[in-house]
Amino acid sequence: MGLLSEEDREYLIQEFNKELIRDVELLHFTDMNDKSEYAVQTKALLGELAGLSDHIKLTIKDCSQKEEIEVEGLDLCPAIKVKSKRKGFMAFYGIPGGYEFSSLVEGIIDMGSDKLSLSDEVVKELSEIDGPIDIKVFVTPACPYCSKAVRTAHLFSLANENIKGSMVEANGFSDLARKHMVSSVPHIVVNGKGSFVGALPERDFLLKVKEVMN
Amino acid sequence: MQFTLMKESKEKRTNYEAAIIGAGPAGLTAAIYLSRARIDTVVFEKLIPGGLIASTDWIENYPGFPDGLSGGELGERMKRHSLRFGAKIEDIEVTGVALDSENISIKTAEGTYSASALIVASGTSPVRLNVSGEENFIGKGISFCAACDAPFFEGEDIVVVGAGSSGIQESLYLSKFARSIKIVEFLSHPTAEQILLDRIKDNDKIELLLFHKVIGFIGEDSLSGVEVESRETGEKKVLDVSGAFIYVGLSPNTGFLDGLLDVDPKEFIKTDPELRTSREGVFAAGDVRTTSLRQVATAVGDGALAAHKVIKYLEKKNEG
Ligand SMILES: Cc1cc2nc3c(=O)[nH]c(=O)nc-3n(C[C@H](O)[C@H](O)[C@H](O)COP(=O)(O)OP(=O)(O)OC[C@H]3O[C@@H](n4cnc5c(N)ncnc54)[C@H](O)[C@@H]3O)c2cc1C
Repeated sequence: MGLLSEEDREYLIQEFNKELIRDVELLHFTDMNDKSEYAVQTKALLGELAGLSDHIKLTIKDCSQKEEIEVEGLDLCPAIKVKSKRKGFMAFYGIPGGYEFSSLVEGIIDMGSDKLSLSDEVVKELSEIDGPIDIKVFVTPACPYCSKAVRTAHLFSLANENIKGSMVEANGFSDLARKHMVSSVPHIVVNGKGSFVGALPERDFLLKVKEVMN
Repeated sequence: MQFTLMKESKEKRTNYEAAIIGAGPAGLTAAIYLSRARIDTVVFEKLIPGGLIASTDWIENYPGFPDGLSGGELGERMKRHSLRFGAKIEDIEVTGVALDSENISIKTAEGTYSASALIVASGTSPVRLNVSGEENFIGKGISFCAACDAPFFEGEDIVVVGAGSSGIQESLYLSKFARSIKIVEFLSHPTAEQILLDRIKDNDKIELLLFHKVIGFIGEDSLSGVEVESRETGEKKVLDVSGAFIYVGLSPNTGFLDGLLDVDPKEFIKTDPELRTSREGVFAAGDVRTTSLRQVATAVGDGALAAHKVIKYLEKKNEG
């Protein structure tokens, strides 16, 4: 039996069929020797997703391929980068489990379509940002509010190429979580320095990002 | 590991017969009843469908689930149930509501929607203690969501503030992670359901500190202590802890209404027994209204009744 229920599979087949207009690559960097439950489940999950649409391609590479990881703009491993011809940077560091599975599915649909679910006002404000912004959203899989913050970071990256949006599963990167003093999620770290906590509506999220950058 | 799929509608329209603010148990139940009556319905949700129950690990007093289930799963099931009959859930925050003689306008960051009837089911948010240091340590030791943040307190000593049902229930969950938990309660007795109190008696990690008030949170970069004062002797002491979870009550999410509806002194929306508010065509359901019990079962009951009243209201409006 797969990880996805028959009902979810059916739903996803229909959604991908309806929404995807271009190919999306799930580029998965993993430690090939890692036989932990998380590593095995992540691989299995991505395999199942790729089997649901001809538009989804799965590429698996090893964490030892440091140069490639860097070329992709990633800075942690294991990582999943959701890529397509559409501009934007969506990464998932660690397992996209629990509520984050929805963020992954939304990410695939966003990269494979032309939709942008952000208000015009926020898109305009985002387009005025010219420096690089790296938004890392620390989450736990059981956090119901975190996927909202991850999705907002991902959507921001679609609106402006200078922005990178990533999910970081805090249990899997506990040292990094400790370094950033994460004790409540979603915990959002901007450019490795400033941070804020909480799932906010997109405009407030953008204001906070700007605030912590200054 | 579970993989939770939240299903969304991607269709965008702005004109509906009925609108619901909030996709918690009250709003989603109303959506089920309205959609089954073939009323064209939209539900607005600023965070995630399911509402406040999503933040709790376990619900075991909602009928039909004798073994209990996680709040997240119950919320997700309610959401799927409402989508099945055709309700639309819009992932947007409502920022204002305005009424004219014909329609109700619902303002959001993505434009203005209109509907002929409205159910406000926007629920509540956790109340803060408003004591020194609290604001500084939110996210740095202070949390309001055990399901989200419990893993960060593995092996740590922590405090839970409030010995109502939520505080005790969440302490039981947190005890799977923390080394010790002191539950600080303002009153001289806990107010939780007896079954929960029986369970903490058997849990040697949990200790009750009754008739004490929290007077401050202390620490440098992150929380290192909670200062409490005995209400009996006035004696003050600091509990050395790295985490504090606060469950001292709820305040209604009514700010976006900007005085449009009559509310009670605590800002909960006043309704009549038919869940009508002070403005025609606007109903309120669930935790956001003045009521004496705030639970999933009562919110669900309210959602059904409010939907029924909206159906009757629209029938009358369309006749006239
Ligand atoms: C820790 C905890 C444990 C609990 N345990 C239990 C239990 O075991 N059993 C039980 O029966 N009950 C329990 N409850 C109570 C239960 O969660 C509530 O009674 C129930 O969720 C109320 O449902 P509701 O639909 O009225 O409001 P809510 O669940 O609060 O839903 C309101 C929704 O409206 C949304 N919203 C608010 N403002 C806006 C806006 N402006 N625009 C768009 N959306 C908006 C919110 O995001 C939210 O999703 C618990 C509560 C807590 C906090």
